[in-house]
Amino acid sequence: MANLNLKNKQDRTYEAIVVGSGISGAWAAKELCDLGVKTLMIERGRNVEHNKDYPTTNMLPYQFEHRNQLTEDIKKENPVISKCYAFREDAMHFFVKDKEHPYVQEKPFDWIRGYQVGGKSLLWARHVQRWSKYDFEGPARDGFAVEWPITYDEIAPWYSHVEKFAGVAGNKDGLPNLPDGEFLPAFKLNIVEKHFQESLKKNYGNDRHMIAARMAHINGNPEKFVEQGRTLCQSRNLCQRGCPFGGYFSSNSSTIPWALKTGNLTLRPMAVVHSVIYDEEKGKATGVRIIDAETKEMEEFYAPVIFLNAAALNTNAILLNSKSDRFPEGLGNDNGLLGKYIAFHNYRARVSAEYEGLSEYTTSGGRPTSGYFPRFRNVYKQETDFLRGYAAGFGANRGSSPDTDAIGMELKNNLLNPDQYGPWRIGSHMMGETIPKETNYVKLDPELTDDFGIPQLRVSVDYDENDEKMTRDYIEQMSDMFEKAGFTNIRSSDSKQAPGLDIHEMGGVRMGKDPKTSLLNKHHQLHAVPNVYVTDGACMTSTSTQNPSLTYMAFAARAAHHAVEESKN
Amino acid sequence: MNRRIALKHLAMVTGGIALIPSCDFSSDDIIAAYEKLQIKASEKDLLGAISNTIIPAGEIKGALDIEVPDFILVMVNDCVKSEDQNRFMAGLRAFPEFVKTKAGSGFSSLSDNGREEIIKEGLAAETEESANIKYFLQMAKRFTIQGYMASEYIQTEVIPYSLIPGEYNGAVLISDINKPRING
Repeated sequence: MANLNLKNKQDRTYEAIVVGSGISGAWAAKELCDLGVKTLMIERGRNVEHNKDYPTTNMLPYQFEHRNQLTEDIKKENPVISKCYAFREDAMHFFVKDKEHPYVQEKPFDWIRGYQVGGKSLLWARHVQRWSKYDFEGPARDGFAVEWPITYDEIAPWYSHVEKFAGVAGNKDGLPNLPDGEFLPAFKLNIVEKHFQESLKKNYGNDRHMIAARMAHINGNPEKFVEQGRTLCQSRNLCQRGCPFGGYFSSNSSTIPWALKTGNLTLRPMAVVHSVIYDEEKGKATGVRIIDAETKEMEEFYAPVIFLNAAALNTNAILLNSKSDRFPEGLGNDNGLLGKYIAFHNYRARVSAEYEGLSEYTTSGGRPTSGYFPRFRNVYKQETDFLRGYAAGFGANRGSSPDTDAIGMELKNNLLNPDQYGPWRIGSHMMGETIPKETNYVKLDPELTDDFGIPQLRVSVDYDENDEKMTRDYIEQMSDMFEKAGFTNIRSSDSKQAPGLDIHEMGGVRMGKDPKTSLLNKHHQLHAVPNVYVTDGACMTSTSTQNPSLTYMAFAARAAHHAVEESKN
Repeated sequence: MNRRIALKHLAMVTGGIALIPSCDFSSDDIIAAYEKLQIKASEKDLLGAISNTIIPAGEIKGALDIEVPDFILVMVNDCVKSEDQNRFMAGLRAFPEFVKTKAGSGFSSLSDNGREEIIKEGLAAETEESANIKYFLQMAKRFTIQGYMASEYIQTEVIPYSLIPGEYNGAVLISDINKPRING
């Protein structure tokens, strides 16, 4: 028996364990595998293999029973996930339904999740803007949260590393607050977007810019991606279904198949991580406990290095649930700050308009993106009555539509020959930085559990006065910029949407220099348990305004290399 | 659609059985596939005739040829809130009386032109008592357009739909666009 157990333990032992197969976990796994580390990647959801498991990817509009609309029954059963823009008939199967993994909303929080191999990397918005030094220096300069323990210069080579592999379309815009990267040719702006770009230059000098968004799409140089089995983006703009070309970066199309090819990766789907195992004698984490999603049985896996990349809030939940005599309040939680200082992006406001100019033009073809308006508020010094600032999405579009007033043959001919061109439609949405606060937290419910007997997460996250002021400023400023560009019929809205719907929740296991005020050191190791690394959104000390995934990828790659270096010592 | 096809067959079979002992000549059964609407076969026929007036057959097929009424009912049954389903059905059920009052005969006995006119009148109605009819016709028109344009027939035979839209051009002169005209 003893031998059998020993063998069993050997079979369950790897050189590294990565929890989560989304955008950051798969990056950690890929790097570890490239460096020769026998790695187990654990995923709570089902396997989704590139192409094989994209059932809707080549479906035509008429093949969706409801033409991609949600039914009332689905909306009623799923009040939270139905709010997500990508939760439609073509991609519903990649989202967690409300009943599947309950949580407690102490305050309204729309928790948008994708539990499958690849996680939300199948569904993300694919915007990949680098952080600048002004973003990393924010908390120290403005006196909120804690100082980041890393600088832009330390992370810049890792941005380059992941950009080259993922493929990023973008222009070298030369903006100090949005550093250039390793770019493939950018997607093009249209004539009205360029008009807005020029108007900003004319009216605001070198202070405000609108650029082609930097996108994780292969838009040129396909030869660089042949080895990954990926090729050029075809601008289908159906990314959320999974891309048969691997045109955009996802774990499924890129890092996971790459890691599998090394022979060093073992992928274990349908395994819900319960907790990290901590060995008091060794003073180290030694593995993880999982619950098989089908049999509900608990199993253990062991490794000297553990990466937690379960997505921001679930990484918090795992650590909070990893209790031991040494860490009764959760692994590494000596200062009681685990789960606190959660932040997100403020996506509440929109400004839209029309443009009567350039009316002789329209567009043709497709593109999977639009323009990007980097932060201009408080970049170099504090200038407003609120802290930090906002970036914005920006797009102009125009197409022909039919006159549908008539009925009968007149209507039919109008529908078949759409030739009405209205004005250009202009749209913009804010992406505001929020300030991490101790009062924005997650914790475990003392009684309620999920289907696996794991405590449910209680989420208590809210906006504050800084967010209100920033929202108003965005609406005022963007409306002004629109007016100066000659746009008309300018309308603004504040959806007051709950936090979470931005799908950019961050923090709870923040990095910092001081173990008294942070959980992770500059290498993403828990201060108190250095063989546990956290490189997903949970590690974020502050949020800045950029879409965060690129930064998680760079962090994961950098930390994986650090873990391998450490193991040599 | 499999569930719906099965239910349609079921409705026909049970309808057939029910016919024998009762000698009920109407056979105007509730169509089981649209369980939230409790719609009768005769009501669906009327909806079909209305949709076919909105988009009639000509050089190319019309709404009825490509089962647009089924699409309308799928959408109303599945994607419309129950209070709006009720308004839709109330409008559909009130429509024959509306036609009789305004045109003096049933919808099916009207000429093509007469059918168009009465639907236009219903769509333009401003009175309280015609509110449901207007609501019903607006929704029927909207789903007729959607069901027709986003149909397999249109998207494969008339205006083939491509999943690959081609390279983006952000400054196309409208005067340079030269699309052949399609005659309906």
